[in-house]
Amino acid sequence: MGKTIVEKIMAKAAGKQEVFPGEYLKFGIKDTFIQVGSDVGPRTIEAFAKLGWDRLWDPTKVIIAPEHCGSYSRARDKVTNRESHRLNSEWARKMGVPEENILELGRIGNCHHIAIEKAWALPGGVYLHTDTHCPTVGGVGCFGVNLSAAETSFLRTGWMWFRVPKSIKFNLTGKLQDGIMGRDVFEYILSQIGPDGAIYKVMEFTGPVMDEMSMDGRLSMCCLSVFTGAKLGIVNPDQKIINWFKAKTDVPFEPQVSDTDAIYDKTYEYDCSKIEPQVVIPPYRHIVKNVGAVEGTKITSAFIGSCASGRDEDLRIAARILKGRKVNSRVMFNITPGSSDAMARVDKEGVISTLLDAGCFICAPSCGMCPGFYTPLAKDEVCIASTTTNYPGRMGDESAQVYLGSAATVAASAIEGKITDPRKYL
Amino acid sequence: MAKIFKGKVWVFGNNLDVDKEIIPFRERELGLMRDGNYGKWVMTPVDPDFPKKVKKGDIMVVGSNMGCGHGHFEGIIGLNQCGISCVIAESVDRNFFKNSIDLGLPIIECEGINQKVREGDILEVNLHEGHIKNLTNGEIMKFDPLPDFILEILESGGLEPYVTKQIAAGKM
Repeated sequence: MGKTIVEKIMAKAAGKQEVFPGEYLKFGIKDTFIQVGSDVGPRTIEAFAKLGWDRLWDPTKVIIAPEHCGSYSRARDKVTNRESHRLNSEWARKMGVPEENILELGRIGNCHHIAIEKAWALPGGVYLHTDTHCPTVGGVGCFGVNLSAAETSFLRTGWMWFRVPKSIKFNLTGKLQDGIMGRDVFEYILSQIGPDGAIYKVMEFTGPVMDEMSMDGRLSMCCLSVFTGAKLGIVNPDQKIINWFKAKTDVPFEPQVSDTDAIYDKTYEYDCSKIEPQVVIPPYRHIVKNVGAVEGTKITSAFIGSCASGRDEDLRIAARILKGRKVNSRVMFNITPGSSDAMARVDKEGVISTLLDAGCFICAPSCGMCPGFYTPLAKDEVCIASTTTNYPGRMGDESAQVYLGSAATVAASAIEGKITDPRKYL
Repeated sequence: MAKIFKGKVWVFGNNLDVDKEIIPFRERELGLMRDGNYGKWVMTPVDPDFPKKVKKGDIMVVGSNMGCGHGHFEGIIGLNQCGISCVIAESVDRNFFKNSIDLGLPIIECEGINQKVREGDILEVNLHEGHIKNLTNGEIMKFDPLPDFILEILESGGLEPYVTKQIAAGKM
């Protein structure tokens, strides 16, 4: 009987011949990196002290990075972000975490971007983090899940429990129109299956549209998969992905792909040729419409960034749209590259200077505006963002409204000061 | 934790988002919960009086996709602080399911539960056997019991105390 990519990765990690949906697994995980972000580190240190735990299972697999906030300090934290990074680094050094795993600002970015940039998440591997959007790494065929409250236990023991999910196959056919991004494809699927369409399931994206799609688009789709209730999203890695990692790392990895006779809970077929730019309408995360339905809605802020966006492709398309044009005089346009590496790469192509010339506010690589860290929305603002979610208060004041769209839709809207179909600028 | 527990039911709907219906995200971001008392805030966006009304041992019955959205777990700490003994849902978001168990809050998936139970009913839940008895109307509902090691995690009060016990016993 055939197996899905997720069943294969989980079986390998658990040292079993095969696993079945619904099965609970408990196993020690080898060769899996875990990041401790500066936003959670102090809690981790406190828990270790309280529980009397004095060591890490494998310090060489622990990464310390001030990634979520960049240099920003949140009101909700008891100490500043710099202070929590100092505490984390000190603790990590004492626990034997090697110097090269303790990273500073200027060499990092948003956690899920750097998991790929630094090749901690590998095709066929397992990757763990305490953040919801860990499944982002499914875009390269890696099993990424959020540990949240279980992080401390994993750090101490390298042991974890998981439930094997059922998988849903999304066979995406046709050819995307120019200016339609991975994000639009995901939001379209969300509009079809709803916010509870894949509860505790895997969304496996496959078909000609996925074969054609860039790595950045795949990462974006998998990042957003949690908004259908899914455990994770994943794409079978192809040669393009494998080559990218081979150029990045000498660490061996074993990519997995689903068998043609794998068992799925459901299969959906979508012809994606007619998908238009998709916009999520506030205050709900699951009300999705074609851009035409809300075109002309005035905005005061725009944002490209977060783990759902801010990759090379997003920055490039924003520059392509903004080249020789200006951001509307009434709009603040925050662009937060996902990582220093991405920023450096696209800078060589002139992308960053194009964005600066257009009047964008370029923020330090981090989660940026997504959880209202940098440039939080003021009272009654209307924003369009390529970020993760949009509930009231997510990006700032509770009265502000957040529409969600692709980086292309956000850039075009920032020029006009109102929600705009990006295709006329391409 | 008692193997069988009994409590009064509070009923909520579908798609409760951890940052929207369960804990108000902005108030948390503004530092209003720095004291760690999430019990004072939990479910207030839906029912502002919930923390005052709820009693130790009460049971929450919810619809589908419980705890959707992000993987933030402050709401689960809040439910524990309020004394909620168990959450029974039509279906549960993956992060909410894992976080609940890891923080020692029993969570059960039971199809049809929110059709069969009314607010104020008294339920008796047997986690090991996998059945729920509605003491108000006598109806019995079944669910797939959780595996033994998950019950052990819950009985320990969550993953951290469970792991501490395992370490002490030389098993980890």
